[in-house]
Amino acid sequence: MAAEHNELTYADVNRDVVRSLVETGPKYYVTLGVAVGVFLTCFFFPWFYQLFYGIGAAGMNQPTVWGTYLASFIFWIGLSHSGTLLSCVLHITNSAWRKAMYRSAEAMTLFSLMVAATMVMVHLGRPWFIHWSLPYPNQMELWPNFRSPLLFDVMAISTYLAGSSIFIYMGSIPDFAAVRDRTSGWRHHMYVLLSLGWRGTDTEWHRLGRAYTFLAVLIIPLAVSVHSIVSWDFALSIVPALHQTIFAPYFVVGAIYSGTAGIVTVMFMLRKYMNFERYITELHFDNLGKLLLLLSLIWTYINVLEIFTGWYSGTSTELEALRYKLFGFYAPLYWEMILFCAVAPLLLISRRFRTSFVPMLFLSFAINIGMYTERFLIVATSLSRKYLPDTWGLYVPSLVEISILIGSVAMFVTLFLVFVKIFPSVSIYEVKETMDVPRKGTPQWQTTR
Amino acid sequence: MPDIDRRDFLKLVGAGSVGVAAGFVLAESIKHPVEYLIPFPVPPEDYSPGIATWYNTVCRMCAAGCGISVRTREGRAKKIEGNPAHPVNQGRLCALGQAGLQVLYNPDRLTTPLLRDGDRTGPFTQITWEEGLSAVADRLASVDGGRIYLLSEGVRGHLAGLFELFMAGLGSNRLLHYDFDYPHTLYAANKRFYGENNLPYYDLRNARYLLSFGADYLGSWISPVHHGLGFGHSRQGGEVRGYFVQIEPRMSLSGAAADEWIAASPGTEGLLALGLAHHIVAEGLYEGDDRDDWMSALAAYSTARVAEQTDVPTNTIARLAKAFARNQPSLAIGGGAAGNHSGGVDTLVAVNALNYLVGNLGKSGGLLFNPDPVVGRPTRSRRASFQTMLELAEDARRGNIEVLIVNQTNPVFTLPAATGFKEALAGIPLIVSLSSFMDETTALADLILPSHTYLESWGDDIPEPGVGFRTASVSQPVVSPLYDTRATGDIVLGLAQKLGLTDSMPWTSMKEYVEQGWRQIHARGADTETRDFQAFWRAILQAGVWGEKLRRDNGAFALDKSVIDNIGAQQPEFSGSNDDFPFVLHPYLSNTFLDGRGANLPWMQELPDPMTSVVYGSWVELNPATARQLGLAQGDLVRVESPHGSVSAPVYLYPGIRPDVIAMPIGQGHAEYGRYARNRGSNPIEILAPRAESHTGALAWSATRVKLAATGKKAALVQTGGTSRQLGRGIVQTTDATAGSGHNARLNSIPIKVVST
Amino acid sequence: MSVVDRFSESWRKYRKPGYYEDFDYAWTMTIDLDRCNGCEACVTACQAENNLPIVGEEDIARGRQMQWIRIERYWDGEYPNARLSFIPMLCQHCDAAPCETVCPVSATYHNQDGLNVQVYNRCIGTRSCAVYCPYEVRYFNYSNHHWPAPLDQQLNPDVSVREKGVMEKCTFCIQRIRQAKDHAKDDGRRRVRDGEVQPACVQTCPTEALVFGDRNDPDSQVSRSLNDPRAYRVLDELNTRPSVVYLKKVVTDGG
Repeated sequence: MAAEHNELTYADVNRDVVRSLVETGPKYYVTLGVAVGVFLTCFFFPWFYQLFYGIGAAGMNQPTVWGTYLASFIFWIGLSHSGTLLSCVLHITNSAWRKAMYRSAEAMTLFSLMVAATMVMVHLGRPWFIHWSLPYPNQMELWPNFRSPLLFDVMAISTYLAGSSIFIYMGSIPDFAAVRDRTSGWRHHMYVLLSLGWRGTDTEWHRLGRAYTFLAVLIIPLAVSVHSIVSWDFALSIVPALHQTIFAPYFVVGAIYSGTAGIVTVMFMLRKYMNFERYITELHFDNLGKLLLLLSLIWTYINVLEIFTGWYSGTSTELEALRYKLFGFYAPLYWEMILFCAVAPLLLISRRFRTSFVPMLFLSFAINIGMYTERFLIVATSLSRKYLPDTWGLYVPSLVEISILIGSVAMFVTLFLVFVKIFPSVSIYEVKETMDVPRKGTPQWQTTR
Repeated sequence: MPDIDRRDFLKLVGAGSVGVAAGFVLAESIKHPVEYLIPFPVPPEDYSPGIATWYNTVCRMCAAGCGISVRTREGRAKKIEGNPAHPVNQGRLCALGQAGLQVLYNPDRLTTPLLRDGDRTGPFTQITWEEGLSAVADRLASVDGGRIYLLSEGVRGHLAGLFELFMAGLGSNRLLHYDFDYPHTLYAANKRFYGENNLPYYDLRNARYLLSFGADYLGSWISPVHHGLGFGHSRQGGEVRGYFVQIEPRMSLSGAAADEWIAASPGTEGLLALGLAHHIVAEGLYEGDDRDDWMSALAAYSTARVAEQTDVPTNTIARLAKAFARNQPSLAIGGGAAGNHSGGVDTLVAVNALNYLVGNLGKSGGLLFNPDPVVGRPTRSRRASFQTMLELAEDARRGNIEVLIVNQTNPVFTLPAATGFKEALAGIPLIVSLSSFMDETTALADLILPSHTYLESWGDDIPEPGVGFRTASVSQPVVSPLYDTRATGDIVLGLAQKLGLTDSMPWTSMKEYVEQGWRQIHARGADTETRDFQAFWRAILQAGVWGEKLRRDNGAFALDKSVIDNIGAQQPEFSGSNDDFPFVLHPYLSNTFLDGRGANLPWMQELPDPMTSVVYGSWVELNPATARQLGLAQGDLVRVESPHGSVSAPVYLYPGIRPDVIAMPIGQGHAEYGRYARNRGSNPIEILAPRAESHTGALAWSATRVKLAATGKKAALVQTGGTSRQLGRGIVQTTDATAGSGHNARLNSIPIKVVST
Repeated sequence: MSVVDRFSESWRKYRKPGYYEDFDYAWTMTIDLDRCNGCEACVTACQAENNLPIVGEEDIARGRQMQWIRIERYWDGEYPNARLSFIPMLCQHCDAAPCETVCPVSATYHNQDGLNVQVYNRCIGTRSCAVYCPYEVRYFNYSNHHWPAPLDQQLNPDVSVREKGVMEKCTFCIQRIRQAKDHAKDDGRRRVRDGEVQPACVQTCPTEALVFGDRNDPDSQVSRSLNDPRAYRVLDELNTRPSVVYLKKVVTDGG
């Protein structure tokens, strides 16, 4: 740890991070412009069309009434999983390597959740009534159905979103204050507000530490429960191949898996384009790689387990669902998923692979593509092969759906791009904690550590 | 203010809060729980059913003559249901009958009289009724009566009578009723065997054993709804469950419902019937006086020989014959493809012989003879067969026809292209169409005088074949006319007025004519004394139907020896050689479109074909084994080529068809006929050989051989169904127990209760 | 009666298992597969009665047909022993309906008559009920449907026309049940008579394969039908407890 940071000084950290916030090159604006453009054209316009026309604009049909929107929803929820969860786990286990990356990982959580919530809107037949799924008091005493796993979802996700927002914000307060003291103009005013009058007194640090750890402990079970609950949308149904007890751990593992891969991607981007080479190092990639390897093995195990469950069931419905998944219309997608999520990650056994940045980037992409496929398959294969063979059918996403999927990625990128210019994307104070204390005599002009 | 310190204050506030909360909780929890959960949008609370008016009238969607009750609200027809009082359908109605609403409210109806500008490629212009009627009347007045033709769909009752009067007034005998599906051969066979002009009543309801030779009695044959009622009752309504056998090369709706489907070689149904008859006589199951006559007449139809010719195993023939003779009352019926073959009449006579041999005539559960109808219907000579239509075409070509009036029939669609009927129409100077729709024939007309739909018109009808006793139904308008159209009868009367035929046709409207005609029925009645005609008429309009519940005395039936001697059946003849055209084309009446008349109704287009679940199109049914041989898969577009043309349609793999037969539904492939029908699917009638049945001149529409040519293309085969195999999931469960009532222990062991709420 | 008594009574009544046995009606349908011949008259009857839209060829090709009651067809065996069986499939009005638990807004729930009802106004279109339904009898409005004039004049004023984004399904012709109850009330009767109310499909069935009635009434035609030894429920192993009971098709060898 110390070896690389030895050359860094507290001043360097301050400078680098503030620079990442205030110095904005044309490249950034071009990227942001493209992202916003794609977001508008690929997300909003198709969505408006769909609102006008009805869900029929998507490819969903009678047996397969759920489609890519729901797959995207699970995917984004999954992606959200690593950020805050990992950050919390690493925080309470005092892993020092967490500190350079956790801020952006948490941001990922936040934005994935936002995109996921948007996907719910897109998924609904009448999104203008989405508030009916919230338990608000009303004159007619109409309440949502508390037995519905979908309602559990609403609760779990809103709680997770609230928890994650507070967690990331709380951890950023000292950094806002640090940035506040180094900026001028409108930025200064913004950070004055954001830092909530942080002065860096011992009491403040003490309380921040207490609250932060407390929240971290709270969020871990919450995060695990969120994806368990998402899995219940499926597992509580009696659809063959979905009605399985393994679904909750399956979803949680899958979520952390795809989330961790997502962090690798984001780390790579930050390192490369925000010039954080000195903060995000081979060490981070090495550790994340090990984690990915572990997760991929668990994920593979559960997948094999699923096959056996179907096989041993001996019922026509389960066997057909299994046969259809392995050899049916969507089988190429299934094997693509196995290749990307079970086979390819075995490369991580090699340390050289784990510490090579570009291959890691590609692997992280592959894993997330595979994980998206997994979510798509959960929806598409099972629903198109339910109980009554006469109702079987095929589902192929429409252009609108594909466009909205691309648009949702652009939405995530847009949010992230805005984030890196407002939040210090590497935690200033926590990075400093990992460094040697400055020697006496070195100019110490910062008020915060 | 008394002294209340901080602590007391807090205590009071605390106690108060707990009290309020407890009261609230208590009050909430004693409410009705369902109201508590969702009080407002609870159905059916937000429904307020209005008061509907029901009119009884007659369905005109097919020739069965079912009685219907039309539900109207605020002067608009909302739903058609069967008239419970009507003896034919007894409150039930088929899909096509219910879709009659969409005839009335079809967006493609002709709304005003139209006159063609220039030749028959030109557009139509709107004219007034006065102009239209005058134009026709002037022309009719100026030409020789013998050069005027009236070609109508099959109509019965007073409208048929009006046509007769009208044509007689014009001095023309050229009045024809043409329907593609009119069972000419069945009438001829019954005439030959029983000497009856009417069809007998087939009492499926009480039959214990039914042999159907090609007659799709539940789908399209004669009176499907009535047969459905009989079928249901025979199956599970009585003490003994009826057993149904269907003999046809392609499993029809009735074939699927039957207990046994026997795919005899196409066209050999007559041979099979005689084979069964031979077995019955030879095995001593028939003991009549004329047994020896039968023996000699049937000598050539030994079981072994028939088995070879029909491709039905000998033991099956023996089993069927025995069962048919022993399970009394039994019934044999024939029709459909079997009746419309090269030797259709012979086949159906052979079927009649079966009924005779086991004694099914004139008894319940067999075949009952119908009395003569109380209101006239066109004689058989007025019923245009295929041969008659060819003669009409020939007359047209020779320039012998000056005016052709077409009423609601569409021969351009329902005659094979090889007849050249469409081209022949060019030789007629004036074609007047009375159709409500722009069908293929109307599209060739010079003048269109659009008539009302049956839901806007007065009329009456006599079900054919009837139900064993005299009955008649009145048809009355259920809504005021939607458009500037007129009832067919009123158009004819309007023309008659202009032509000065008021002596023979003094009525000012169809309603007046019908009402006047019904005075005769009133005069028959026993209650003539007690009820004046107006009361009778009102009662009839309310009931929609009149009946005289007197069965005809069926007496003893004596068969002439010459009939027995003439019995025989030949191997079928086909157009097209076996080598060049390896498959027999089996066109069948779709039970949603019949001969194509239902194709403009969106409900019918969207109603999945019962056997295949295909909607909005045509298809070619192929045995999966045949398809494998030809390297064809479901959905492959193939060209079906006969010696007389070709049509294309996608392949449908159909397990219930002989490997040497391919089947196509009739009804699609319209070039006109509105937005729902136009340019959809293909019409197998187009490629049929112009071959007539030898005795009646009816089109032998199942006697064409074809070959298949793959096009290498895929075609959209729009289906509502997915995989039609159960995969052992027990969805349709079966039992070998026959009818009977007992206690269902298994079902009752499951409490019909919910465990938790 | 004291508040406590009332409270405990309603608690007993409504919280106990199977509480709606105590309601006035338990509407049930039996379908005799030995009578059903697949003619599909019921399908059109339902379309006419319940304002089902014409969805068009394109949408059916995409699997979006709308038929609250449909005929499923299953082949057994191969030529020449091929056999085709039909089974009408409609909302089974399950007493333990999976669709009811999953709807987040309670747009579908069990009413006092044992009907599984769908509240169009409340539906937000999650389509989860269709996923949870093993019988696939829930139909979604993928877009707004139009009736080209004057076809719109045939629309039944007793039944609402559903807009895009709403799930719909068989109601057992709840409008007819309502009307029958109104008539009973007008006549001063407490109960609807057996056979007084028939859904459109039952009304029109030419073979009388469909029987509808109240199974709480032991003398009703449907109760007698339920006692037939041939009675079974489709997908009984899922324990959804349908209110639609089928009577097995009889298959015999030879006459």
